Parts: sequence; structure tokens; C-alpha cells
Amino acid sequence: MPKHIASGLKYLAAVELVRDGYSQKEISKALNMDRSTVSHYLHGRNLSLSSIEIAELIIKFNPRDFIVLTDAIVGDKEATKTIVKTCLDKKYSVEVKDTCIGCGVCVDICLIDAIMLDDLKAHIDTELCCGCLMCEEKCPTNSINIMEES
Amino acid sequence: MATNTKEAKAKDFNIERSAEEERKLSFKDESCIGCGICEKICPVEAIELGPIGAIVRTGSDEAKIEIDEDKCVLCGMCSVGCPVDALDLEIDGKSIKGIETYPRLISSAEISDEDCVYCRACERICPQEAVTVARVLPDRAKLVTGEIEIDKEKCIDCGVCEEMCPADAITMEEIGPNEYDISVDEDKCVYCLVCKRACPEDAIKAACRGCSYGEYDINPEDAEIAGKAVIDEETCVRCGWCEEVCPKEAVEVVKPFEGEIEIDLDKCETCGACIDICPCDALEFPKATKAGERAPKLQKNEEFCIYCGACENVCPNEAIEVKRTNINYTPTKSKSWQKGLESLKS
Repeated sequence: MPKHIASGLKYLAAVELVRDGYSQKEISKALNMDRSTVSHYLHGRNLSLSSIEIAELIIKFNPRDFIVLTDAIVGDKEATKTIVKTCLDKKYSVEVKDTCIGCGVCVDICLIDAIMLDDLKAHIDTELCCGCLMCEEKCPTNSINIMEES
Repeated sequence: MATNTKEAKAKDFNIERSAEEERKLSFKDESCIGCGICEKICPVEAIELGPIGAIVRTGSDEAKIEIDEDKCVLCGMCSVGCPVDALDLEIDGKSIKGIETYPRLISSAEISDEDCVYCRACERICPQEAVTVARVLPDRAKLVTGEIEIDKEKCIDCGVCEEMCPADAITMEEIGPNEYDISVDEDKCVYCLVCKRACPEDAIKAACRGCSYGEYDINPEDAEIAGKAVIDEETCVRCGWCEEVCPKEAVEVVKPFEGEIEIDLDKCETCGACIDICPCDALEFPKATKAGERAPKLQKNEEFCIYCGACENVCPNEAIEVKRTNINYTPTKSKSWQKGLESLKS
């Protein structure tokens, strides 16, 4: 079953990516699947309508549930990152305060590798951030603020 | 999510978290001086200083500090604040003390090879036994010159010379019943002529060339002492005793903190806990110098104090106050780390 949901999620991402002008080759790489499968999916073959329906539901979850669930179901970091980035359209702005001690807890917790440390301070890539807020919650010094942009 | 794991071995322990990078904080109890700086600097209050007075005085098997692995976030601030490297954070196997972006306390103790004469004064005084001076002494035989000969015809095998020789250079060997062979080891003989003077039969002829002609045939190179003085980085606490006692000014010690220590003698009950815990031998009970004089209860040798604050922590009567007025550390761009290190000032 998780496999089916994963294919639903990959399908949704693939459709988005085609719309954004990516080639099937690029899509197969970004979602870590073979090209023929990408082609099948885009032609509505080899996957059930119900798995697409479930995937559509998952995308509408709050960002954290969506990311955690996708990570668990897909089980592949790169594919997860692509799905999350493609299917979430919200933008977030980020503030890391000077109280950050550079402990790296946020780096470890971020499922989509949006955070890195530089000069003992966390830097969050707003292009990648999906607003799951896990870093904000786990930060031992409450130094992270993530806000949804309107 | 990556959680911390803790692994303890006797009083030492490691706390680890591995995910994107591997972070490992290690604690070595033997190096710990009980100063409590780690407890003060920890931004998440994960560290607790143990009952160090009792630990030091009873040889308890309790570790001097305790770190709650569920609270610790492995930021490494404690290891940077630790003046004696009892705590060390490694990221992917590399100590943060060697990573540029992290600040580091500035302290050192060095013995100059050029000026050291290997007298061992530093080795004897070091309160942490951190100094080792290895030395190779010159060949004694090359520093004296003379001649010695025993006339075996005259010798009556009395053994007086063997017994009296201060250099143990004369040996009498039994080679048969009532038959002896006497010999002089010229590598050991210093031509002091004691044997010659003591011999009841005048059987020894000996002369010291140095005495009659001065130092004419002694090569100064033969008198050179070779050696190597080494300070063990791990145990050295930068107290400065070695620098003070060195007769050749060959030692340079840089201390991480500046400050002052104040003792309230009215409060001191002379329990001696501070003296026991001080890693620098900077505190002592003074002895009266004259009959009838009463020495002060406790005396500080501030020159050797590193302002770690262990004595203040251990004093049951709050009679000691250690103030740190300056912390010497390498620059860092991180405001929170600057703040953490500055917070050690009092």
C-alpha cells in the first residue's frame, strides 16, 4: 500500500514538473524512478486513481504531516525533497536570531536539508523551506522564527 | 530524528549524536579540575557540577560533572570554556579546538629548547606533574684526567682502598683461596687520591692532572648536557609555577583568564578544602615564621592562580571569591558564543 501512495505522490509531482517545463529525463532523475515509469505515469498508466486521490489528500495536510508522511512513504530523501518542493506552493520567510549557538539540532532534524551551519549560526534556505516548523520547535535557544508569506 | 546516546566508562563518558554530521562530546574526569565553568557556560543547562569537595577529599567514584544527555544539544560551548581540555567536542572526528569558526581559549605553556639547561626545577615544582625533563649527562671520565696504578707486589689485599673509594672504582675479586685481584675502573675513577692516602702499604701511585695543571686538557664540549623538556598538554593547567622557578627564563606561560581572588579570613574555618582542590598549588596554610607569631589562616599565591573558581565552589563558608575580569579567546563571528564566553566574567 505505501508503494501505491508513493506512486500517487510521484505522479502529482511529475505532472507539476512537466507543467514547469522539465523533461522526462530530468523528472526521472529528480524523483529517482526510471524514465519508462515516468512516461507511463504521465499517460495515466500503471497507477490507480485511488492512489492519486490519497496523494492529493496528503498534499493538503499541514506541511509537517505532509513532509513526515512523504518521507516515511517514499523512503528516498531526494525524491521526498522534489515532491515536497513541487507540490507545496506556500512561501516562508525565515529569521535566525543571534542567540543561535550553532548546535546543529535543526540541521539534523530538517527532512529536506534546507538548513546549514555557517560561522556557528544556522542558515535556512527559504527556497527549500516548507514550513514544517520542526526546527523552530526543537531549537534549544528558541532562535528560529518561520513565517508564512502572504 | 537523531537522538543522543551516552556511553560511560568508569568516570569518563561520551555523548554522541549522528545524523548529517557526527558529533561527539567526551569528558575525561582525570583532567577535570572541578571549576564548574562548563556548568556556567552551558546554554541549555544540561551540566551539573558534582559535590566536588567530597569527591576530591574522599576519592569517591562519582564523576566531577554530570551531563544530561537528553538536554545536551552538543553545541560544544562547554568544551571551549573548559580551561583544561577535560571536555572535547568532535565533529566528524575533528576537535572543534582545531576548527577555525569556533573560538578557543588562548593559553599555552612552552619551554624553549634553546634556553633550557635541564635543571629539572620545573619538573619538581609542577603541581600537575605535567613536566618531564629527560637529560643525558656527560661522560664523567671525560671531565677528569689523571693516572692511577696499583703496585700488586706491594699490595697486601687489605681492601681499604675498595671500601673507601667514593666513586666505587676499585674492585677486589677473589680469584682463588686467599688470592685476590685488584683493579681500578678508570671510567669511574675521579683521581681524588683518597685510595693513595689511605693505603697502609703505599702501594698506590696516583696523580690528578687537573689539580696540577688546571683544566688544560678538558674539552668543553665533553661537559655539555643534552636533553629535552616536555610539558604534557593534557595535564598542564597553565599555573605558571614552571615559569617562576626557571633560573634561565626558558618557560613562557600564557593564562586564559585574568582576574583576582579574594579571601575573607573572618569567614575561613581552615577546613583546607580549597587547598585540596586547587589545581595550581596557589593556596596554602602559612607557617609562623617566628616563635609566638600567629600566621594568617590561609594564604594565596595569586601569581599561580588561573582564576578557575574551583576553590570558591568548594568553600563551605563562602570565604573565597574569584573574579574573572578578562577572558582571552580567539575571535568568533557568533554573537551567542561571544556572549557565552563573556558570561564567564564576574
